[in-house]
This record gives sequence, C-alpha cells and structure tokens, in this order.
Amino acid sequence: MHDTPLISFSNVSKRYPENETPSLAHVSFTVAAGEFVCLVGPSGGGKTSILKMIAGLVEPTSGRVDRPGEVAMTFQSGALLPWLTAGENVAFGLARRNLPQDELAARIERELSRVGMLALKDKHPGELSGGQRQRVGIARALALEPQVLLLDEPFSALDAKTTAELHDDLVRIWRETGKTIVMVSHLIEEAVSLAEWVLLVQHDTIDEIFRIELPYPRRDTEGFHKEVMRIRNAFFR
Amino acid sequence: MRHSRHVRHVSHTATLSYPHSLVQRLYSLVLGPLFIVALVFLLVNVLPPAAVPHASIPLSTILLATLHTFIRLAIAYVLAVAVAVPLALLATSSHTIEEFLLPVFDILESVPILALFPVFVVLFLQFGFLNGAAIFILFLTMLWDIVTTLVGGVKIIPKEIYQAAHAFGVRGTALFTQVTLPALVPQLVTGSIIAVAQGWNLIIVAEVLHTYIPGGTTEQDLFGIGAILVKAASAGDHGTFVMAVFVIVVLIAVLNLVLWQRLLHYSQRFRFD
Repeated sequence: MHDTPLISFSNVSKRYPENETPSLAHVSFTVAAGEFVCLVGPSGGGKTSILKMIAGLVEPTSGRVDRPGEVAMTFQSGALLPWLTAGENVAFGLARRNLPQDELAARIERELSRVGMLALKDKHPGELSGGQRQRVGIARALALEPQVLLLDEPFSALDAKTTAELHDDLVRIWRETGKTIVMVSHLIEEAVSLAEWVLLVQHDTIDEIFRIELPYPRRDTEGFHKEVMRIRNAFFR
Repeated sequence: MRHSRHVRHVSHTATLSYPHSLVQRLYSLVLGPLFIVALVFLLVNVLPPAAVPHASIPLSTILLATLHTFIRLAIAYVLAVAVAVPLALLATSSHTIEEFLLPVFDILESVPILALFPVFVVLFLQFGFLNGAAIFILFLTMLWDIVTTLVGGVKIIPKEIYQAAHAFGVRGTALFTQVTLPALVPQLVTGSIIAVAQGWNLIIVAEVLHTYIPGGTTEQDLFGIGAILVKAASAGDHGTFVMAVFVIVVLIAVLNLVLWQRLLHYSQRFRFD
C-alpha cells in the first residue's frame, strides 16, 4: 500500500503430508518495510505456518513467497539453549556471522540492554522467568540486525502484568529500530494493542485485514475496545 | 499492507533425582554401602561351616584386582559411548531409518548376552586376547542401555530448538556440536549410570573365563575383582569374599559420590523445561 513490499505472498497454499485438507489456501498479502503486522485467529488456523514461510523454515506447497534474506524469529517457548547463559544465547544467534570479538560483545550488550536484560547476562534460562526468557529471545533476534522480526506467540505463556510490560517494550523497540515486525497471536486484544495491521487468519486463509490507527499506548481506550469488537465480530461471523 | 483474496475457502524422560545436600550425599555414601557389607558379612557367617572370616588374599592384591576390573569397565564404557552416540543419531536421523533400526535394536537388546559369551571367549582365545572377550561383553551390555536412553533423548529435544538453530544458520557439524550433543548430556549421564551398573553386574562372570573354554583351567581367568569373588565363594574363603565385596562397594559408592552425583547435578543445566 505504501512502498515496495518487503514481504509478499501470492496465492500461497500449504498442505502438510499428514493432513488431508490444506492448512492454508490462496493466501495473498504484502507487508511494507517498517510495518507492524499481527496475525490473529484460532489455533491450527495456519498463523504459524505463514510466519515460518516468511522465516524460510517452511516452503509453500504452491504459490509464491517473496521475503528478504535478513529475517530473525523468536519462538513461543523462547527456544533458548538451557546450557548457555543469556549472553551466550544471544551470541549463538550470531554464530554464523563470524564477527570480531569486540563487535560481538558490543552487539550482545546493546541488545540485552535494549530489552532490559543486561544485568542478567550471565544467568542461564533456568534461572530466568518466562518474560525474561522472551526478552533474551527478542535480543537474540535483534542482534542479527534483521530487516524483519518475526514473533511466534511470544507472550502466550506469560502473566498479564509481564505481558503488558513486554507489549510496551515491544512497541518501544519497534519505534526505536524501525524494524518490520510480523507477530502471531491468538488474542485479538494483544493484536490491537500492538499492530498497525491485523490479519485475521481463519478458514485456512487470510479472512480479513484490519487497519488499526490508534495512538500508543492503546490499552483500555475507547478506540481500543471498538477495534477489538470490530475484529471479534468478524472472528465470530 | 495489501490483501487480495483469490478464492475464499471455508474450510524426559523421567528425571532422576539426585542428592542435593552434603548430608544426603554422605547418606548415600555411607549408609547404603554399609548396609550391603553388613548383609554380606551376616550371610557368610550364618552359612555353615561358619568360620571366622580371614582373608587369604591380601588387601593390596584385592585393590590391584579391582583396578584391573575398573580399567576393563572404563575401556568398555568409552567404546560403548563412542558407538552409542552415532548409532542413536543414525537411528533418529529419519523416520524411515528409525522404522528399520529401532526394531533391530530391540531384538539385539533382547538377546541374552551371556548366551553368546562362550562364542566370544573362544573367538578372542584364537587371538590370545582374553581381556578382549571380557571388554567386548561389557561393551555390548553397556551399549544398548546408552543407545536406548539417547534415542529417547533425541526425541525430546524440542522442535523449536532445531528451527531456531536453522533460522540462525547453524547446521551440519555446528548443529551437532552446539545443539544435539549438549542436549543429550542428561540422557548420556543417566544412560551411563545404568550401563556402568550393568557392567558391574556382569563383571562377576566376565572374568571367570575358564568355565567357557572347553578343557579350560583357572589360569585362563582374568585378574580382577570378579574372578576373586567367584574363587573366594567357591573355596569358602569368606574373609576374602567379604573384603572383596567391601572394596567393590566402597569403590562404587565413591564413584557415585564424586562422579555420577556431580554429573547428574551438572546435567540438569542441559535439560529443556
């Protein structure tokens, strides 16, 4: 809509061998650089498959996916290696970059600091809370300096207070870095709190797209509730 | 953001607990072995004729024999780990290979090792390498315990971990050394504990080789604590028997305290939640 799309799906379908029916069919959308997009919808609707296709982890059965090379992803569980410290986990993400030692250390420090985890750099994941692990996962992804940051239900296992704090931090990070963010969530409220665009993924396709034009922070404002209701109506239609 | 819709379709592995505190660890070091030694002492004394235990073999010889046995076990264990890791990774490398190999492993694991022992002994006798027969039988005993736990370990590595590694470009050897191998540490430790325990069980028969050799003599037995136990028991040498049991139990308890308990504790760090 605005610029040349950074991510483009053209009539994409995905069928997994173990399923008779396609998980996704005729999915088409584009995402421009710097946009914050959230995919919402019921479980098993294909949201994560779309995200993994953007990440290059899953290939489409048919159709075309255009995606930039520099994509980083965070996972629902955090996917941190339990035997590495927070700092080492961030370094793990940079393993293939062969950065000079001082630059590697600087990046680790910068990104852990950005997510408020520098003081816990030497802690192992087992010593961190769920929210702290997600922060490290985000730092690990940001350290790659990607064009696109993909978030797969990063807050689904967290309590309400931690989730609210992370929402604020994510919006701040998005504004600071100007990264394109594509996130998956099963909560409409979360999508409306964060994203500029909400894609409703149900019935095996992108069912509807919503533009959210509200100032941040959005939680518990009149506009926020109206947008939530608008998407909810489409969801239960 | 643009959207064009072409067609709308509606459409653990169980974890082993380990003693945390020094008191708990000392308990396992002192009380457990003490119980076993007391039990053995009691049994040999109620068996007629109940002579006062007096060891005919000096303690230094028993200790040296224990060292020989320990080296045999250690060699067999290292070989078993070296073979088990690639075997477990091969078995889980694809669904097709898994479907083929796991039933084969099940069968091989079920074959009673001792039934094959006479064959191995005669085979190794041809090369004049009787130690090899004992090490080989210990290796086979340990192998399947480690393979089985490692296969289970590979299966519980979360898929997301591999996806994350893939997303960060970590593949091939780096994936093996930085992800798979560390992720298997807990299973390697638990499998090793079980395997080495099985090795200690088997050592009693693995060193008394003459019984498996046609026309064999006790000269063909290996020098080790297993052979000493068998000889002492058959000769009614209760003193040597109790002393040998005492040494073996102390060694196992010390190994448990300084090696296995520490490794178990350390391996917790490698567990996924």
